[in-house]
Amino acid sequence: MSVQPHSSSRYRWAGLATLLSTSLWLWGCGTPWELRRQPAAPLGIGQEARQDPALSGDGRLLASVVERGGRSTVILQERSSGKVLPLHHLRRQQPHSSPSLSWNGRYLALVVQQGPQRQAVIEDRANGQLHPLLLPAGREPQRLSLAPDARRVVLEVLDNGQSRVEVFDLSGLLEPDQAPGQPVSGGGGLTR
Amino acid sequence: MKSRALLAMALTLSSLLGGCLGGNLRPLQGLNLQLARGGTSHSPALSGNWLALITGREGREQVQMVNLSSSAPVPLLGLNRPDAQPLSVTVDQRGERLALVRQREGRTELVLYRRSLQNLQAIPMEPAGVPRRVQLSADGRVLAVEVSRGGQWQVDLLTLP
Repeated sequence: MSVQPHSSSRYRWAGLATLLSTSLWLWGCGTPWELRRQPAAPLGIGQEARQDPALSGDGRLLASVVERGGRSTVILQERSSGKVLPLHHLRRQQPHSSPSLSWNGRYLALVVQQGPQRQAVIEDRANGQLHPLLLPAGREPQRLSLAPDARRVVLEVLDNGQSRVEVFDLSGLLEPDQAPGQPVSGGGGLTR
Repeated sequence: MKSRALLAMALTLSSLLGGCLGGNLRPLQGLNLQLARGGTSHSPALSGNWLALITGREGREQVQMVNLSSSAPVPLLGLNRPDAQPLSVTVDQRGERLALVRQREGRTELVLYRRSLQNLQAIPMEPAGVPRRVQLSADGRVLAVEVSRGGQWQVDLLTLP
Protein backbone atom coordinates (compact mmCIF):
# COMPACT_ATOMS: atom_id res chain seq x y z
CA MET A 1 0.00 0.00 0.00
CA SER A 2 2.78 2.27 0.79
CA VAL A 3 4.04 1.77 -2.78
CA GLN A 4 0.97 3.35 -4.36
CA PRO A 5 1.75 7.05 -3.71
CA HIS A 6 5.36 6.51 -4.66
CA SER A 7 4.29 4.82 -7.89
CA SER A 8 1.78 7.58 -8.62
CA SER A 9 4.42 10.20 -7.99
CA ARG A 10 6.76 8.30 -10.25
CA TYR A 11 4.13 8.29 -13.04
CA ARG A 12 3.58 12.00 -12.53
CA TRP A 13 7.31 12.63 -12.87
CA ALA A 14 7.49 10.38 -15.92
CA GLY A 15 4.58 12.28 -17.47
CA LEU A 16 6.20 15.59 -16.70
CA ALA A 17 9.51 14.42 -18.15
CA THR A 18 7.77 13.20 -21.31
CA LEU A 19 5.92 16.51 -21.66
CA LEU A 20 9.12 18.46 -21.06
CA SER A 21 11.20 16.43 -23.49
CA THR A 22 8.45 16.64 -26.13
CA SER A 23 8.28 20.41 -25.79
CA LEU A 24 12.05 20.64 -25.88
CA TRP A 25 12.08 18.46 -28.99
CA LEU A 26 9.39 20.54 -30.64
CA TRP A 27 11.16 23.79 -29.80
CA GLY A 28 14.81 22.85 -29.83
CA CYS A 29 15.03 20.02 -32.30
CA GLY A 30 12.49 21.63 -34.60
CA THR A 31 12.03 19.80 -37.82
CA PRO A 32 12.99 21.42 -41.12
CA TRP A 33 9.37 22.08 -42.13
CA GLU A 34 9.28 24.83 -39.52
CA LEU A 35 11.57 26.83 -41.81
CA ARG A 36 10.06 29.12 -44.40
CA ARG A 37 12.04 29.10 -47.61
CA GLN A 38 12.24 31.92 -50.07
CA PRO A 39 14.52 32.36 -53.08
CA ALA A 40 16.47 35.60 -53.10
CA ALA A 41 14.51 38.42 -54.71
CA PRO A 42 14.83 38.32 -58.49
CA LEU A 43 16.79 41.00 -60.28
CA GLY A 44 14.45 41.08 -63.26
CA ILE A 45 17.01 39.51 -65.59
CA GLY A 46 16.00 35.90 -65.31
CA GLN A 47 17.83 33.36 -63.24
CA GLU A 48 21.11 35.08 -62.54
CA ALA A 49 23.96 33.49 -60.61
CA ARG A 50 24.68 35.16 -57.29
CA GLN A 51 27.09 34.55 -54.44
CA ASP A 52 28.28 35.93 -51.11
CA PRO A 53 24.92 36.80 -49.49
CA ALA A 54 24.87 39.26 -46.58
CA LEU A 55 21.82 40.42 -44.65
CA SER A 56 21.37 43.63 -42.71
CA GLY A 57 20.98 43.06 -38.97
CA ASP A 58 17.20 43.36 -39.21
CA GLY A 59 17.08 41.12 -42.28
CA ARG A 60 15.44 43.85 -44.38
CA LEU A 61 18.26 44.25 -46.91
CA LEU A 62 20.27 41.70 -48.84
CA ALA A 63 23.67 42.34 -50.45
CA SER A 64 25.02 39.76 -52.86
CA VAL A 65 27.58 39.48 -55.62
CA VAL A 66 26.45 39.02 -59.25
CA GLU A 67 28.24 39.09 -62.58
CA ARG A 68 27.97 42.42 -64.43
CA GLY A 69 29.81 42.55 -67.74
CA GLY A 70 31.94 39.63 -66.63
CA ARG A 71 32.90 41.33 -63.38
CA SER A 72 31.83 40.31 -59.88
CA THR A 73 29.75 43.23 -58.62
CA VAL A 74 27.92 43.75 -55.34
CA ILE A 75 24.26 44.74 -55.45
CA LEU A 76 22.01 45.80 -52.60
CA GLN A 77 18.32 44.94 -52.55
CA GLU A 78 15.27 45.17 -50.35
CA ARG A 79 14.54 41.59 -49.41
CA SER A 80 10.77 41.89 -49.59
CA SER A 81 10.42 43.67 -52.95
CA GLY A 82 13.70 42.96 -54.72
CA LYS A 83 14.15 46.70 -55.34
CA VAL A 84 17.80 47.46 -56.10
CA LEU A 85 19.22 50.30 -54.00
CA PRO A 86 21.93 52.66 -55.28
CA LEU A 87 25.57 52.33 -54.23
CA HIS A 88 27.57 55.42 -55.02
CA HIS A 89 31.20 54.32 -54.95
CA LEU A 90 31.10 50.75 -56.10
CA ARG A 91 30.52 50.93 -59.84
CA ARG A 92 34.21 50.23 -60.35
CA GLN A 93 36.89 48.49 -58.28
CA GLN A 94 35.68 45.01 -59.25
CA PRO A 95 35.88 42.21 -58.44
CA HIS A 96 33.82 42.81 -55.31
CA SER A 97 33.58 40.17 -52.61
CA SER A 98 32.54 39.48 -49.03
CA PRO A 99 29.87 42.17 -48.50
CA SER A 100 28.67 42.79 -44.96
CA LEU A 101 25.88 45.12 -43.77
CA SER A 102 25.23 46.99 -40.54
CA TRP A 103 21.96 46.71 -38.62
CA ASN A 104 19.83 49.12 -40.69
CA GLY A 105 21.98 48.83 -43.79
CA ARG A 106 23.53 52.26 -43.40
CA TYR A 107 27.02 50.77 -43.88
CA LEU A 108 28.13 48.27 -46.50
CA ALA A 109 31.61 46.84 -45.99
CA LEU A 110 33.26 44.71 -48.65
CA VAL A 111 36.55 43.77 -50.30
CA VAL A 112 37.31 45.51 -53.61
CA GLN A 113 40.19 45.67 -56.08
CA GLN A 114 42.35 48.77 -55.66
CA GLY A 115 44.98 48.73 -58.41
CA PRO A 116 46.98 45.54 -57.99
CA GLN A 117 45.74 44.93 -54.45
CA ARG A 118 42.65 43.83 -52.60
CA GLN A 119 41.34 46.41 -50.16
CA ALA A 120 38.59 46.50 -47.54
CA VAL A 121 36.26 49.51 -47.75
CA ILE A 122 33.07 50.69 -46.08
CA GLU A 123 30.45 52.73 -47.93
CA ASP A 124 28.33 54.98 -45.73
CA ARG A 125 24.98 55.11 -47.53
CA ALA A 126 23.74 57.96 -45.35
CA ASN A 127 26.34 60.49 -46.48
CA GLY A 128 27.94 58.86 -49.52
CA GLN A 129 31.41 58.59 -47.96
CA LEU A 130 33.74 55.72 -48.74
CA HIS A 131 36.12 54.67 -45.96
CA PRO A 132 39.14 52.61 -47.03
CA LEU A 133 40.42 50.27 -44.31
CA LEU A 134 44.16 50.40 -44.84
CA LEU A 135 46.41 47.54 -43.78
CA PRO A 136 50.20 47.42 -43.65
CA ALA A 137 51.95 46.40 -46.87
CA GLY A 138 52.04 42.67 -47.46
CA ARG A 139 48.71 41.96 -45.80
CA GLU A 140 45.73 41.53 -48.06
CA PRO A 141 42.13 41.26 -46.89
CA GLN A 142 40.35 38.13 -48.10
CA ARG A 143 37.02 38.34 -46.29
CA LEU A 144 35.42 40.56 -43.68
CA SER A 145 32.48 40.90 -41.33
CA LEU A 146 31.10 44.18 -40.02
CA ALA A 147 29.49 44.17 -36.58
CA PRO A 148 25.78 45.05 -36.90
CA ASP A 149 26.28 48.21 -34.82
CA ALA A 150 29.33 49.13 -36.96
CA ARG A 151 31.57 49.50 -33.91
CA ARG A 152 33.97 46.78 -35.05
CA VAL A 153 35.07 44.99 -38.17
CA VAL A 154 36.88 41.68 -38.46
CA LEU A 155 39.17 40.99 -41.40
CA GLU A 156 40.54 37.71 -42.67
CA VAL A 157 43.98 38.62 -43.99
CA LEU A 158 46.66 36.72 -45.83
CA ASP A 159 50.04 37.35 -44.27
CA ASN A 160 52.97 35.49 -45.81
CA GLY A 161 50.56 32.93 -47.19
CA GLN A 162 48.93 32.28 -43.83
CA SER A 163 45.30 33.07 -43.19
CA ARG A 164 44.59 35.02 -40.01
CA VAL A 165 41.65 36.84 -38.46
CA GLU A 166 42.06 40.31 -36.94
CA VAL A 167 39.50 42.52 -35.21
CA PHE A 168 39.50 46.32 -35.44
CA ASP A 169 37.65 49.02 -33.52
CA LEU A 170 35.73 51.44 -35.76
CA SER A 171 34.29 53.68 -33.05
CA GLY A 172 36.58 56.55 -34.06
CA LEU A 173 35.65 56.21 -37.72
CA LEU A 174 31.91 55.49 -37.97
CA GLU A 175 28.77 56.53 -36.16
CA PRO A 176 27.00 53.48 -34.78
CA ASP A 177 24.08 51.95 -36.66
CA GLN A 178 22.00 50.61 -33.83
CA ALA A 179 18.92 48.45 -33.74
CA PRO A 180 15.76 50.44 -32.92
CA GLY A 181 15.37 50.80 -29.18
CA GLN A 182 19.11 50.69 -28.55
CA PRO A 183 20.77 53.78 -27.06
CA VAL A 184 22.03 55.96 -29.89
CA SER A 185 25.15 58.06 -29.60
CA GLY A 186 25.11 59.69 -33.00
CA GLY A 187 23.36 59.12 -36.33
CA GLY A 188 22.52 55.70 -37.56
CA GLY A 189 19.18 54.85 -39.07
CA LEU A 190 18.58 54.97 -42.78
CA THR A 191 15.15 54.73 -44.27
CA ARG A 192 16.13 54.58 -47.93
CA MET B 1 58.24 29.01 -28.94
CA LYS B 2 60.74 31.25 -30.69
CA SER B 3 58.63 31.41 -33.83
CA ARG B 4 55.53 32.23 -31.77
CA ALA B 5 57.38 35.04 -30.01
CA LEU B 6 58.50 36.36 -33.38
CA LEU B 7 54.93 36.13 -34.69
CA ALA B 8 53.62 37.97 -31.65
CA MET B 9 56.28 40.67 -32.08
CA ALA B 10 55.53 41.00 -35.80
CA LEU B 11 51.83 41.18 -35.11
CA THR B 12 52.29 43.85 -32.46
CA LEU B 13 54.44 45.94 -34.79
CA SER B 14 52.12 45.48 -37.75
CA SER B 15 49.12 46.20 -35.56
CA LEU B 16 50.73 49.44 -34.48
CA LEU B 17 51.55 50.25 -38.09
CA GLY B 18 48.06 49.19 -39.11
CA GLY B 19 46.63 51.57 -36.58
CA CYS B 20 48.70 54.41 -37.99
CA LEU B 21 48.09 53.53 -41.62
CA GLY B 22 44.41 52.94 -41.19
CA GLY B 23 43.72 56.28 -39.55
CA ASN B 24 40.87 55.54 -37.19
CA LEU B 25 41.08 51.79 -37.71
CA ARG B 26 42.37 50.55 -34.35
CA PRO B 27 43.35 46.89 -33.91
CA LEU B 28 42.18 45.08 -30.77
CA GLN B 29 45.72 44.02 -30.03
CA GLY B 30 45.17 41.71 -27.08
CA LEU B 31 42.49 39.76 -28.88
CA ASN B 32 44.44 39.68 -32.14
CA LEU B 33 47.54 38.33 -30.40
CA GLN B 34 45.43 35.67 -28.73
CA LEU B 35 43.91 34.68 -32.08
CA ALA B 36 47.35 34.59 -33.72
CA ARG B 37 48.66 32.25 -31.03
CA GLY B 38 45.78 29.89 -31.76
CA GLY B 39 47.05 29.00 -35.25
CA THR B 40 45.47 29.80 -38.58
CA SER B 41 41.97 31.27 -38.66
CA HIS B 42 39.47 32.18 -41.34
CA SER B 43 35.79 32.77 -42.21
CA PRO B 44 35.11 35.24 -39.37
CA ALA B 45 31.64 36.48 -38.41
CA LEU B 46 30.91 39.32 -35.98
CA SER B 47 27.58 39.91 -34.29
CA GLY B 48 26.81 41.69 -31.05
CA ASN B 49 29.45 40.76 -28.56
CA TRP B 50 30.50 37.62 -30.40
CA LEU B 51 33.12 36.58 -32.90
CA ALA B 52 32.66 33.20 -34.57
CA LEU B 53 35.46 31.86 -36.73
CA ILE B 54 37.14 28.71 -37.97
CA THR B 55 40.52 27.98 -36.45
CA GLY B 56 43.07 25.40 -37.50
CA ARG B 57 45.91 23.72 -35.72
CA GLU B 58 47.90 20.64 -36.70
CA GLY B 59 45.69 20.02 -39.69
CA ARG B 60 42.41 20.03 -37.80
CA GLU B 61 39.89 22.83 -38.10
CA GLN B 62 37.05 23.67 -35.75
CA VAL B 63 34.51 26.38 -35.04
CA GLN B 64 35.39 28.72 -32.22
CA MET B 65 33.40 31.54 -30.65
CA VAL B 66 34.91 34.36 -28.62
CA ASN B 67 33.17 36.72 -26.21
CA LEU B 68 34.55 40.10 -27.24
CA SER B 69 34.01 41.64 -23.79
CA SER B 70 36.32 39.20 -22.09
CA SER B 71 38.27 37.87 -25.12
CA ALA B 72 37.44 34.45 -23.71
CA PRO B 73 36.48 31.46 -25.86
CA VAL B 74 32.93 30.23 -25.35
CA PRO B 75 32.19 26.49 -25.12
CA LEU B 76 30.24 25.09 -28.07
CA LEU B 77 29.41 21.66 -26.71
CA GLY B 78 28.35 19.19 -29.36
CA LEU B 79 29.11 21.45 -32.32
CA ASN B 80 32.61 20.39 -33.36
CA ARG B 81 33.24 16.83 -34.51
CA PRO B 82 36.58 15.23 -35.31
CA ASP B 83 35.18 13.85 -38.57
CA ALA B 84 33.78 17.18 -39.80
CA GLN B 85 35.48 19.99 -41.70
CA PRO B 86 33.81 23.39 -41.12
CA LEU B 87 33.62 25.69 -44.16
CA SER B 88 31.55 28.68 -43.07
CA VAL B 89 30.05 29.89 -39.79
CA THR B 90 27.76 32.69 -38.68
CA VAL B 91 26.26 33.82 -35.36
CA ASP B 92 23.34 36.00 -34.26
CA GLN B 93 23.81 38.99 -31.98
CA ARG B 94 22.70 37.12 -28.84
CA GLY B 95 25.32 34.46 -29.46
CA GLU B 96 22.51 31.91 -29.22
CA ARG B 97 22.12 30.71 -32.81
CA LEU B 98 25.01 29.65 -34.99
CA ALA B 99 24.69 28.31 -38.52
CA LEU B 100 27.45 26.25 -40.02
CA VAL B 101 28.33 24.69 -43.36
CA ARG B 102 30.53 21.64 -42.93
CA GLN B 103 31.78 18.61 -44.79
CA ARG B 104 31.21 15.25 -43.18
CA GLU B 105 31.37 11.75 -44.59
CA GLY B 106 31.84 13.12 -48.08
CA ARG B 107 28.75 15.36 -47.91
CA THR B 108 28.40 19.10 -47.42
CA GLU B 109 25.67 19.98 -44.94
CA LEU B 110 24.08 23.02 -43.35
CA VAL B 111 23.37 22.82 -39.63
CA LEU B 112 21.81 25.19 -37.11
CA TYR B 113 23.13 25.14 -33.53
CA ARG B 114 21.28 26.51 -30.51
CA ARG B 115 23.88 27.19 -27.86
CA SER B 116 21.66 27.22 -24.76
CA LEU B 117 20.26 23.81 -25.71
CA GLN B 118 23.50 22.45 -27.18
CA ASN B 119 21.25 21.30 -29.96
CA LEU B 120 22.26 20.72 -33.57
CA GLN B 121 19.68 20.58 -36.36
CA ALA B 122 20.49 19.65 -39.95
CA ILE B 123 18.79 21.85 -42.54
CA PRO B 124 18.32 20.05 -45.86
CA MET B 125 18.69 22.01 -49.08
CA GLU B 126 15.41 22.08 -51.02
CA PRO B 127 15.64 21.76 -53.99
CA ALA B 128 18.81 19.71 -53.56
CA GLY B 129 22.02 21.70 -53.68
CA VAL B 130 25.43 22.06 -52.10
CA PRO B 131 25.72 24.89 -49.55
CA ARG B 132 28.97 26.83 -49.34
CA ARG B 133 28.57 30.04 -47.34
CA VAL B 134 26.01 31.06 -44.78
CA GLN B 135 25.04 34.29 -43.04
CA LEU B 136 22.49 34.85 -40.30
CA SER B 137 20.81 38.22 -39.79
CA ALA B 138 21.83 39.70 -36.43
CA ASP B 139 18.28 39.28 -35.13
CA GLY B 140 18.63 35.56 -35.83
CA ARG B 141 15.45 35.37 -37.92
CA VAL B 142 16.72 35.05 -41.48
CA LEU B 143 19.43 32.79 -42.85
CA ALA B 144 21.03 33.49 -46.23
CA VAL B 145 22.73 30.49 -47.83
CA GLU B 146 24.92 30.41 -50.91
CA VAL B 147 24.06 27.16 -52.70
CA SER B 148 25.40 25.46 -55.83
CA ARG B 149 22.59 24.00 -57.96
CA GLY B 150 23.02 22.61 -61.43
CA GLY B 151 26.39 24.31 -61.80
CA GLN B 152 25.09 27.75 -60.79
CA TRP B 153 25.50 29.67 -57.55
CA GLN B 154 22.24 30.76 -55.99
CA VAL B 155 21.14 32.38 -52.74
CA ASP B 156 18.42 30.82 -50.59
CA LEU B 157 16.73 32.76 -47.81
CA LEU B 158 15.28 30.81 -44.90
CA THR B 159 13.05 32.36 -42.25
CA LEU B 160 13.72 30.72 -38.91
CA PRO B 161 11.04 30.08 -36.29
